[in-house]
Amino acid sequence: MMKGVIRVELFKILRQSKTLYALVAIFIIEGFVLVSAYYQGTEIIDLLLANLKDTFEFKGDLLNGNLIIYMILNSLWFHIPLILMIIVSGFLTSEYKDRTIEAVLLQPVSKTKFIGSKYLVSSLFTLLVVFLLAISTFGISYLVFGKGDLVVYLNGLNFYPTEEAFWRLASAFAVGTLSMLFFSLVSLTFAVLFKDATKTWIVSAIFLVCTNLLLKIDFDNSILNRFFYSKLIDSWQYYFYYEIPYEKIYINMSVLFLYCVFVSIAGIIVFKKRDLLP
Amino acid sequence: MIFNASKISKSYGTLAALSEVDLICQQGEICGLIGANGAGKSTLFRIILGLIKQDSGSVEIQSSSPKPIGGIIEKPALYEYLNARENIKVFSEIQGIKVSAKTFNELMQEVGLSPDRKDAVKNYSLGMKQRLGLAVALLNNPDCLVLDEPFSGLDPMGIYSFHNLIKKLSRENKITVLISSHIVGELADLCDTLYVLSKGRIIKSGFSGEIYNSSVSSYKLVGENFPDMRELAAMHPIKIQGGYLVQISRKEITGLLETLINRGTRITACVPQSDLKVLFEDKT
Repeated sequence: MMKGVIRVELFKILRQSKTLYALVAIFIIEGFVLVSAYYQGTEIIDLLLANLKDTFEFKGDLLNGNLIIYMILNSLWFHIPLILMIIVSGFLTSEYKDRTIEAVLLQPVSKTKFIGSKYLVSSLFTLLVVFLLAISTFGISYLVFGKGDLVVYLNGLNFYPTEEAFWRLASAFAVGTLSMLFFSLVSLTFAVLFKDATKTWIVSAIFLVCTNLLLKIDFDNSILNRFFYSKLIDSWQYYFYYEIPYEKIYINMSVLFLYCVFVSIAGIIVFKKRDLLP
Repeated sequence: MIFNASKISKSYGTLAALSEVDLICQQGEICGLIGANGAGKSTLFRIILGLIKQDSGSVEIQSSSPKPIGGIIEKPALYEYLNARENIKVFSEIQGIKVSAKTFNELMQEVGLSPDRKDAVKNYSLGMKQRLGLAVALLNNPDCLVLDEPFSGLDPMGIYSFHNLIKKLSRENKITVLISSHIVGELADLCDTLYVLSKGRIIKSGFSGEIYNSSVSSYKLVGENFPDMRELAAMHPIKIQGGYLVQISRKEITGLLETLINRGTRITACVPQSDLKVLFEDKT
């Protein structure tokens, strides 16, 4: 029966207009980056490399597809998780608002199966959105701007040849997906706790802002500095270090995955225990 | 007995929403629950339907159906962006049943909806949504239906037609129906037994006619050639369109009607009026 519940959840997501709005919103962000890069990218690059150009000779075009992909990749900091949190939490808050959650739970379906399928389908939706973003970003960027070396400012300017840039960017998208999954699952748990869409959105946005702030804060505690959730969400950035700290990335991903499981289980337990009040 | 709620209690903080409520329904019976706003009707129905947990007491349903009980709480909750067929598909698939086109058509006909309508449910009238909500509740053949305020928001024609539909389901399909409504007369007419809930306690229960009649304290008399009603001052007659509203007991109404007919009055209707104060009066 779990298969049936999951199939129904997927069907509902596909039939809701807000799913389309979410995808459109993400592609609008992508479009903005592409258009602004097209018109202003050269000026920014020139400004960034002004000092270096006095000392070094640059060949080729640094405003290329790889740089554009890196710029869009940076929307994983705030824009993409914010949109994902709004949409994913809406999968549940809309059921509370329309009271369809009551109608569903009046059928012989367990609360655990229902909310479990919400978490599962939200995860699939998140993976699909990031996958589509990555595919379209690579496709359009290479098509419009072509390939070339990647210049990244991360503790100084780093340059990567075009072949190396591709797999670094692709790996960063893959690892960043787990961070997006974490934010999506947190927002769904907020929806379980707050039920109301506006409250959930506000709390989700605050959570996202606080997470980005907490990432930069030193807790003066080695364990917290290493394993607190906010310290794990930027693992995708490590792919732009010259020496990629693979072990740290794998450990971060494993711990973040455990956070995802914990957040989901917490939401399922709260949902199961709570009465469904009007 | 198909349904037995025994000693149900539920509190929200210090507020006792229900205290030791007992309710029994026989198979195929229509059981009504009357109560003022805040009496605890919806809380009781939510407990019976498993949406909230009682603090104490038990709910026992004798059924071999995979879905012993179906219901609608207040207004029907449907996926408004989907059409009727898609709503039925969603609610049937989550309980692991496949509804064929033939079954869908039969179900729609049973609740009085056109199976050919393809537009989204958001375009439906409230009455049509109630019917579709009932179709959802009937999926998987429950033995018992719980309907909380199903007449709320319906026009008189809608009430009449939904009333007949519930009666048909009970009489022909032997489905036990537990129903609440603010429209006391409608409920008295529809139900076999009535329970009166006040401040979270069942204060009266019994055959519907007996409970309703015990609360009747006036009658609406409609007709022609009424005599000078000042003679009946003790009955506090109030002039209404086409007749009078008189305060009189059940024992005295027959005598009054005889007197009026002997004086040449043509009585075309004598409608008992329930006094809610009397109905909700706790004599225990």
